Amino acid sequence: MPVRKHGQHMKLFKNKGKDETTLRRQRVEVSVELRKAKKDEQILKRRNISIHLKEENPSLGQDRAAEIVQPSLEEIVEAVNGEDTQLQLLATQATRRLLSRHKDPPINQIIELGIIPRMVEFLGRADNATLQFEAAWALTNIASGTSEHTRAVVEGGAIPAFISLLSSPHMHISEQSVWALGNIAGDGPIYRDVLIARDVIPPLLALVSPTTPVGFLRNITWTLSNLCRNKNPCPPLDAVLKILPVLVILLQHEDKDVISDSCWAVSYLTDGCNDRIQVVVETGILPRLVELMDCPDLIVMTPALRAIGNVVTGTDQQTQEAISAGALAVLPRLLRHSKSVIQKEAAWTLSNIAAGPSHQIQQIITCGLLPPLVELLDKGDFKAQKEAVWVVANFTTGATVDQVVELVRSGVLKPLLNLLLVKDSKTILLILDTISNLFLAAEKLGETEKLCLLVEELDGLEKIEDLQNHENDLVYRAALDIIEKYFSGEENINLEPQTGQDGLYDFSVEKQDFNF
Amino acid sequence: MELSDANLQTLTEYLKKTLDPDPAIRRPAEKFLESVEGSQNYPLLLLTLLEKSQENVIKVCASVTFKNYIKRNWRIVEDEPNKICESDRIAIKANIVPLMLSSPEQIQKQLSDAISIIGREDFPQKWPDLLTEMVNRFQSGDFHVINGVLRTAHSLFKRYRHEFKSNELWSEIKLVLDAFALPLTNLFKATIELCSTHANDASALKVLFSSLILIAKLFYSLNFQDLPEFFEDNMETWMTNFHSLLTLDNKLLQTDDEEEAGLLELLKSQICDNAALYAQKYDEEFQPYLPRFVTAIWNLLVTTGQEVKYDLLVSNAIQFLASVCERPHYKHLFEDQNTLTSICEKVIVPNMEFRAADEEAFEDNSEEYIRRDLEGSDIDTRRRAACDLVRGLCKFFEGPVTGIFSGYVNSMLQEYAKNPSVNWKHKDAAIYLVTSLASKAQTQKHGITQANELVNLTEFFVNHIQPDLKSATVNEFPVLKADGIKYIMIFRNQVPKEQLLVSIPLLINHLQAESIVVHTYAAHALERLFTMRGTNNATLITAAEMAPFVEVLLTNLFKALTLPGSSENEYIMKAIMRSFSLLQESIIPYIPSVITQLTQKLLAVSKNPSKPHFNHYMFESICLSIRITCKANPEAVGSFEEALFLVFTEILQNDVQEFIPYVFQVMSLLLEMHKNEIPSSYMALFPHLLQPVLWERTGNIPPLVRLLQAYLERGASTIASAAADKIPGLLGVFQKLIASKANDHQGFYLLNSIIEHMPPESVDQYRKQIFILLFQRLQSSKTTKFIKS
Repeated sequence: MPVRKHGQHMKLFKNKGKDETTLRRQRVEVSVELRKAKKDEQILKRRNISIHLKEENPSLGQDRAAEIVQPSLEEIVEAVNGEDTQLQLLATQATRRLLSRHKDPPINQIIELGIIPRMVEFLGRADNATLQFEAAWALTNIASGTSEHTRAVVEGGAIPAFISLLSSPHMHISEQSVWALGNIAGDGPIYRDVLIARDVIPPLLALVSPTTPVGFLRNITWTLSNLCRNKNPCPPLDAVLKILPVLVILLQHEDKDVISDSCWAVSYLTDGCNDRIQVVVETGILPRLVELMDCPDLIVMTPALRAIGNVVTGTDQQTQEAISAGALAVLPRLLRHSKSVIQKEAAWTLSNIAAGPSHQIQQIITCGLLPPLVELLDKGDFKAQKEAVWVVANFTTGATVDQVVELVRSGVLKPLLNLLLVKDSKTILLILDTISNLFLAAEKLGETEKLCLLVEELDGLEKIEDLQNHENDLVYRAALDIIEKYFSGEENINLEPQTGQDGLYDFSVEKQDFNF
Repeated sequence: MELSDANLQTLTEYLKKTLDPDPAIRRPAEKFLESVEGSQNYPLLLLTLLEKSQENVIKVCASVTFKNYIKRNWRIVEDEPNKICESDRIAIKANIVPLMLSSPEQIQKQLSDAISIIGREDFPQKWPDLLTEMVNRFQSGDFHVINGVLRTAHSLFKRYRHEFKSNELWSEIKLVLDAFALPLTNLFKATIELCSTHANDASALKVLFSSLILIAKLFYSLNFQDLPEFFEDNMETWMTNFHSLLTLDNKLLQTDDEEEAGLLELLKSQICDNAALYAQKYDEEFQPYLPRFVTAIWNLLVTTGQEVKYDLLVSNAIQFLASVCERPHYKHLFEDQNTLTSICEKVIVPNMEFRAADEEAFEDNSEEYIRRDLEGSDIDTRRRAACDLVRGLCKFFEGPVTGIFSGYVNSMLQEYAKNPSVNWKHKDAAIYLVTSLASKAQTQKHGITQANELVNLTEFFVNHIQPDLKSATVNEFPVLKADGIKYIMIFRNQVPKEQLLVSIPLLINHLQAESIVVHTYAAHALERLFTMRGTNNATLITAAEMAPFVEVLLTNLFKALTLPGSSENEYIMKAIMRSFSLLQESIIPYIPSVITQLTQKLLAVSKNPSKPHFNHYMFESICLSIRITCKANPEAVGSFEEALFLVFTEILQNDVQEFIPYVFQVMSLLLEMHKNEIPSSYMALFPHLLQPVLWERTGNIPPLVRLLQAYLERGASTIASAAADKIPGLLGVFQKLIASKANDHQGFYLLNSIIEHMPPESVDQYRKQIFILLFQRLQSSKTTKFIKS
């Protein structure tokens, strides 16, 4: 079932009862996924495998010697638990190196060594910045693994240690802590909220300044985005209110990665109830997001589009804000984008705007969205076509008769009817509902017969007839309903003009002079 | 019931009796079984019998009885008692899988059905070990067992193909994938290997291919909702193997049967479906494999014969190509001129040919042939698939495709001209090709509404269609005659009117053809032409233009009804109705003969009404004759009554349910034609019309209400004076009608006529009751309809 939280205005629509099927839909309809995790999503956790950091840092000079003699795991345990600071450092470095190798880092084995609490201890060794840094790096990489792995780091007591290291005088240590905290926050709402409760936000935000190097700023932005991420529950409101003003500033930055992660952050904040959308809308950031939605770089365009897409799942007023910010002017290009995921997201966004009141639907028409929509229905990839069907379905539910006429004129019928062959019951049902809506409009105009002919000409009739054999009960009934209502009375239509109004088998003796 | 030998014995005897042909023995036995099926252990006794009975017939009977028992009782309906006790449920689930797998095929099928019914309710939550139990059997190496598992899995999973996406459904699929996808993949690979090691063993191959078909079907179900991660990761394995299976052939698997599809065909057909599923839904991921499949499927088409057994495979394969060729990013696979030529030559043209099987249907099964050809119930036929491919290719390559085909059409017409009696099929194919090429949009009502501009339809009509129809011998080359008539029918909006007028006498002439298809098409074409509209929404062909042909048209139409096989031909009857409606008063001179023929027909078909459409048009025609005649001469109503009442009485007396509503309709019409007091013959019938039994049938209600209204309009005072005692009965009908939500409006129609026409004093005494009834209804079940009317 599509999820819709804001049903109020839909109730005003003519087609009551249809409300359940064509409503604003939040992005995730089903939480169970059969597919591979999506490739276009932002990365949840990141491992630090960078080599250059080591070169940059002169204090790591002795690495070269250590590279030759890699201690065994037993030796590492012994050294880490021993009292010799130099050995501790070497062992920690060795651990970090193991965890930073490109392929299959032995995270499980390292955890099993039981050295995490010791590493956390090292984080507090303000006297030995190198040891602090190496321990932070190693722990970052452990936390980048599965939830199990992250938990091992948290349970080792790393959270308070990392938070206090945010204020370390050494920038590379502070940066590594930002990274580690990002991985912990990315694990899910529970650890995210633990971090927030531990007041991670003020020291983190304090790191943002005009002089912060870009590389560092990217890490901070990413960690901030993870603090905004995840639902059930969504992050506490006061935390969001603290982060938002900084995000607004970061969105103006010139670095694409910083912008991208800021957009992701906003997209997470808008992926929720209307109150949360409202908080974002009130920052006045929508025009900037719309501008970014038009950015040629996918890494920016994708999250910006997502954010705007989320905003229009909100109330009519919130949707209007997105429209006023110019979202509809950009969408035609996105519907025609070369990447089908963008087409799909753009169509999803449009479908929620089409679920609005008729004056918003009018803006869809005015902004020239019907032609690209029809193209998408006709030629898009399946997932994009499916979203395009939602657009049409929602459109026909809320539109005025004139608007429906406009839609039909734009050539929507042919590709729509072709999609009745699609292998997806829900989409078929939506199309059938849409056809019923079109007929309702045609009836009001007295053009039912014309629409019947059009549907038949475009090979729609035989497809609908065939759907009367569909295994899905709702699909079968919807098809039957259309056939019975509009396509079974051939005789009456043909005969009436010749035999006068009371054609013999026309049983409806419609006398209107009753006064009961 | 205990699980005792005595009970097993009793049950065996009753089961045996349920097979007895004598209802006096069978029925009580069935009753008995029903009466004990609520008892504990009953299903377990059946399972024991189907496993251990000495007699095979009892085993089978027990298995069928068991399945039906499960079907009726397994589902637990809310607020209703649980019909199977918990311990029986547990025992059934614990035993049924091994039992199914060890049973012979006939019983296996029943148990497999029972498992899927149970699975639908209990799987996965209440039957957690079902999957592991099934999967474990894959290792048995016994393909009888494996096929049993696969068949059961198929019936459990096939609902994934049509159900809506939901959390619940997807959780189930995920669970199934986790347990099933890998073992299924391994089984797939192992089975294919076994196919090559047993390549020379026919009986082994048959079993293995049955498994492959089921595996391919399971693949379809499991991949339907979305592309599962597992199958994305293992696409290489599946698609490579599917691809090689498509190209595989083995003499041992070829069947001699021309009609029934063999295992090889079924498998390839399912693989085409699987490829089409991926091409449609998972285009991005499937792209690397698609060109290979296009080539393989195309080669398959080129090498597959004309036999009926290949029909499903060929139409699936062509449909696959048709759906791919209209996608913009696969355009390049087809655009080469040689490719296009070879698709046209080797795939499309051969599949448009009129085959022996078509010829057989044309002659011996005309009704089916007409239905397929005229009404488009040909979705699965080769010709249809070939047409779809033509249209798909025309999306991007209309010019080249039309060019290639024009060449073919010409050469085929030349072949025909050389020796018509031998080469007539070439012309048939040529006409078919032109038709499919030219038609872009078609409706029943208007025929082709958009045509390809590259084909000159009128020229083709004049040069190649008319000459055939002008030939003096109506019975020569019936297929070509039918093609020609059909051409007129579907291109009626493209061909100029003067050409249509030339065709009309030709069509009338072909009403005499012996071939059912030919005279039916002629009738249908005339009927369609008569409905065409010109300017001002008047009919395109006017009664005046038809004047010279009225007599021969009516004569031939009624004669056509006497041709063998067409005594209840709905197309002819519809053409009769349409002719009346077009010709209006010009039919009056022929009415005496017409009405005699119609009443004779009515009398004949009322013995056993079987063609509802035919009957409908027949009554329509009767009504039209009455209307047209009485409009010019109201006095004529008497002669109609004379002609019809005898048959009507018979219909009413014999209670011919299909016709009774029509009879009431015609009677209302006749009664309304009377200008004066109601004739006594009608009054005699009045009391009978109030009989409740008539009002119990919903189909009777509208025409009966209309008839009563006609009575009231013409004879209210007669009713008040001569049949006052029937007024309560009349109001009773009203009461009956308003009690129903579906028929209350009919009640109001009746009441309205009563108030309007009856002398007020005759109904005054009932007025209060009427209002009470209305208010009662308002109180007890208020509906919008009731309030508004």
